[in-house]
Amino acid sequence: MDSNKIEALLKKYWEAETSQEEEQQLREWFRIHEAPEPWKETAAMFRYFDETKKKSLDDASFNATVVSHLPAARTGRVRKLVYNTLRIAAGVSVLCLATWFVHKEMQESTDPEVVDTYSDPKLAFEETKKALLLISQSFGKAEKQARKINMFNEAQEEIRKEKTTQEQKL
Amino acid sequence: MNLESFQNRVLPAKNKLFRFALRFLGSEEDAKDVVQEVFIRVWNGREQMNEIQNWEAWCMRITRNLSLDRIRSNSRRQTRPMEETFDVRQEALTPHETTEIRESMHRIGQIIEALPEKQRQIIHLRDVEGYSYNEICEILELDMNQVKVNLFRARNTVREKLTKMNAYGL
Repeated sequence: MDSNKIEALLKKYWEAETSQEEEQQLREWFRIHEAPEPWKETAAMFRYFDETKKKSLDDASFNATVVSHLPAARTGRVRKLVYNTLRIAAGVSVLCLATWFVHKEMQESTDPEVVDTYSDPKLAFEETKKALLLISQSFGKAEKQARKINMFNEAQEEIRKEKTTQEQKL
Repeated sequence: MNLESFQNRVLPAKNKLFRFALRFLGSEEDAKDVVQEVFIRVWNGREQMNEIQNWEAWCMRITRNLSLDRIRSNSRRQTRPMEETFDVRQEALTPHETTEIRESMHRIGQIIEALPEKQRQIIHLRDVEGYSYNEICEILELDMNQVKVNLFRARNTVREKLTKMNAYGL
C-alpha cells in the first residue's frame, strides 16, 4: 500500500470515518513500515495502542484464583435440589398432620346416635331384638320384685281389715 | 453453562476486561479485583447468558459499572494516573531511538489520559480493543451518534496535541 493511500486513510481516521478494516490496515502499515518524519508521532500513537493491548493478566494463576472463588456449580445445584425437596416434604407433612387432626376432631364431635347407626337392615333388626330382649328381661326382674312388694301391701291391708272388725265387735 | 464452558468461553476475555478496568482505575491491583468480581457476577448470572446476544459486551459493561462503583467508593482516595511502561526494545533501534519512542508513547499516554472520561473510554474500545461502533454503543449504553461524536472529538484532540508535539519537538 503506497503512502498516498495511507495519507487518505489517515485523513479519514482523524475524521472518525474509517471502518474497522481500514483502521486495521493503518495499524498493520505503521507496524511494518518506518514512518516518515511528519507521521512519527502518529506512528508512536499506533505503537502506543499496540503496546497497551499487550497488557495482560497472569493466565494460570488468575484463572485458578477466579475458579476457586466461584460458588461451586454442582454442589450448589445438588444443595438447591435437596433444599427444595425438603421444603416440599415439610409442606406435605404439615398438610397430612393437619388433615389427620381435623379428621380426628370431627370423629370425636359426631353424635353417638349417628355413630351407632346400622346400614344393614338385618343386622339392625338383630341388634334391636337383642336390645328389646335385654329390656324385657330387666322388666321381668322388676315385675318379680314388684309382686313381692304387692304381697306385702296386701298382707298389710288384711291386717288393717282384721283390726277394724275386732274393734267393731268390742 | 457449566464450569468447563465458562473457562473456555468467558475467562479468555479477562485481558480485555482488565485493560478496560485499568483505564478507569489506574491501578493494576484494583483492576484485577474488578475483573475477578465481574467473573463471579457473570457466573452467578450464567442462566441469563443464553438470552444475551453479545456476552462479551455484557461483561465489558459490568466491568465499566463496577469500576465506576469502585471509583465512587474510593472517592476519598485519589485515583492515580496510570503509570505506563512500555517495552519497545527492538534490534533495529539504537538505544537513543528506543528512548525517544518510549518518551513519545509516554506523552501519548498522557494526552489520552487527559481526555474527558467518555472520550477516553471510546478511544480505548475502538483503537485498542478494535470494537465496532455497535458494540461500543452496547458497552457504554450510548447511542451511535454520541459514540461517533465523542470518537471524533477524542481523535481531533489527540491529533492537535500530536501536531504541537511534532512542531515544537516536545
